[in-house]
Amino acid sequence: MKTAFRQFKALVKLSFLELWRRNDIFALVLLGLALMVPLSMASPFGADGASRYLDEAALLLVWGFSLFIALGSGQRLLAPEFEARTIYPLLAKPISRGRLLFGKYLGALAASWSALAFFYVLFVGSVLLRGGAFAAELPQALALHFAFIALAVAVSLLGSLLMSASANCALSSIVLVGMFFFGRRLPEYADGLNPALAWLVKAVYAIAPHAEFFDMRQRLVHGWGAVGWPVFAAVLCYALVYIAVLLGLASLALRRRRL
Amino acid sequence: MQGIGNGKCQICYNIGAMNDGNTLLGPKGQRQSPSTGDCAVRIEGVVREFGSVKAVDGLSLALAPGEIMGFLGTNGAGKTTTIKMIIGLLRPSAGKVSVFGGDPSDPAVRARVGYMPEVATYYPYLNARELLAFYGGICGLDAKLVKARTDELLESVGLSEAARRPLKTYSKGMLQRAGIAQALLNDPDLLVLDEPFTGLDPLARIHFRELLRSLREKGKAVFFSSHELGETELLCDRVAIMKHGHCVYQGAVKDLAGDGGSNLERLFLKTLEEAK
Repeated sequence: MKTAFRQFKALVKLSFLELWRRNDIFALVLLGLALMVPLSMASPFGADGASRYLDEAALLLVWGFSLFIALGSGQRLLAPEFEARTIYPLLAKPISRGRLLFGKYLGALAASWSALAFFYVLFVGSVLLRGGAFAAELPQALALHFAFIALAVAVSLLGSLLMSASANCALSSIVLVGMFFFGRRLPEYADGLNPALAWLVKAVYAIAPHAEFFDMRQRLVHGWGAVGWPVFAAVLCYALVYIAVLLGLASLALRRRRL
Repeated sequence: MQGIGNGKCQICYNIGAMNDGNTLLGPKGQRQSPSTGDCAVRIEGVVREFGSVKAVDGLSLALAPGEIMGFLGTNGAGKTTTIKMIIGLLRPSAGKVSVFGGDPSDPAVRARVGYMPEVATYYPYLNARELLAFYGGICGLDAKLVKARTDELLESVGLSEAARRPLKTYSKGMLQRAGIAQALLNDPDLLVLDEPFTGLDPLARIHFRELLRSLREKGKAVFFSSHELGETELLCDRVAIMKHGHCVYQGAVKDLAGDGGSNLERLFLKTLEEAK
């Protein structure tokens, strides 16, 4: 147990050092500044409707930036280790491939969650300073967004073991962003197609990660209230199961990968 | 031919006594059935295929604690594949590889092994101290122990002054030294090195040679592949020569001089020529 803890700690620390030393932190600050633009525009307009619209835009930016960072972190977990051949001395150490994979995942997750927390501090802080308020939906919205980021890192991690970096970034982005915006409309879209295409669309709907389940932006901005706790728990369970399946597949891919 | 190593392991002695490299032979030349022993490394009839290509074909060898073995061969002879099987990165298609009697992919076995790859750039944004701290954590070592070992190892590989510089500013030789330090971090009983002399300057080579000899004195086993025949002859107790996946020669280095005065380079060329 102590050994596993030390190994995970080393891998998480490596992720943070990478984030810091590769100057990704500056990208994070720039993204944060970009996020502040719509938020700072809210006060001059004054009108409540306009404020909500800008808050929604700011939240969309938080989702976009955090997804961008999560996919980048996931992509950089193992692919560069193979390219630089650092995977050989690493796997020659007394660590199993499964533990290495999970430790790497935790590292990327910690870095991505830190970035997300930074964005939310800016967002929530700005809204509160403006005199706005969040009700019971805020903790739920945060929890689901953090769960979505955990899912996105796992998607990117699996993709990095199956395809090239550019293909992985493109495909992961298309799947997650596509499901985020269009996921809930897929079944009705399928109804208007011929049977073969409808089957394909329904298969995508069944298999693809449902990013839209985690989206509580509208509730947060318009104060529509929290979702029921059973629904909330079900979405978290969905995320956990999906992440477990993705990590299991990634572990299998890593085991089968020729070294 | 005399037994090599500390004499504890009869199997290692027996394999040391053979010269075709692919069969376990007894002291009188009879076929030897495998039995348990305390070999650091034991390879029995190993075949490793990649599709239709046999990278290693019927290799048998053993390495005793307190012994240094040089693994020679032309490019593509199967040296790196063999090394990857010894450190558990690859599984043999047939035959058996054991390290200290266990499965090389078992983390408990790997805790006793140090490995340095032929080419590795490591993590360019870390410095040497951070690199060793990271690998220490991966080995599950206590942070205080890692710190103490780091100071000692950086001193012994001559990187103390550059310890806080990012690895991306290191020369090839300095990266090689960092690689040596990470391989020695867990105080391994078996050191497996892939082309360890590449990029080292003459002074560093001398220091490294002394370091490996001191490890041998402590009873550690060292197995390395190399194209540097001069270094291999100076350092090794035994050599094995690979060609097209077959081991075409195994023997003690000290017997080479008596073999018509031939040195390792002449033996290497002669063996490869005869293996045609």
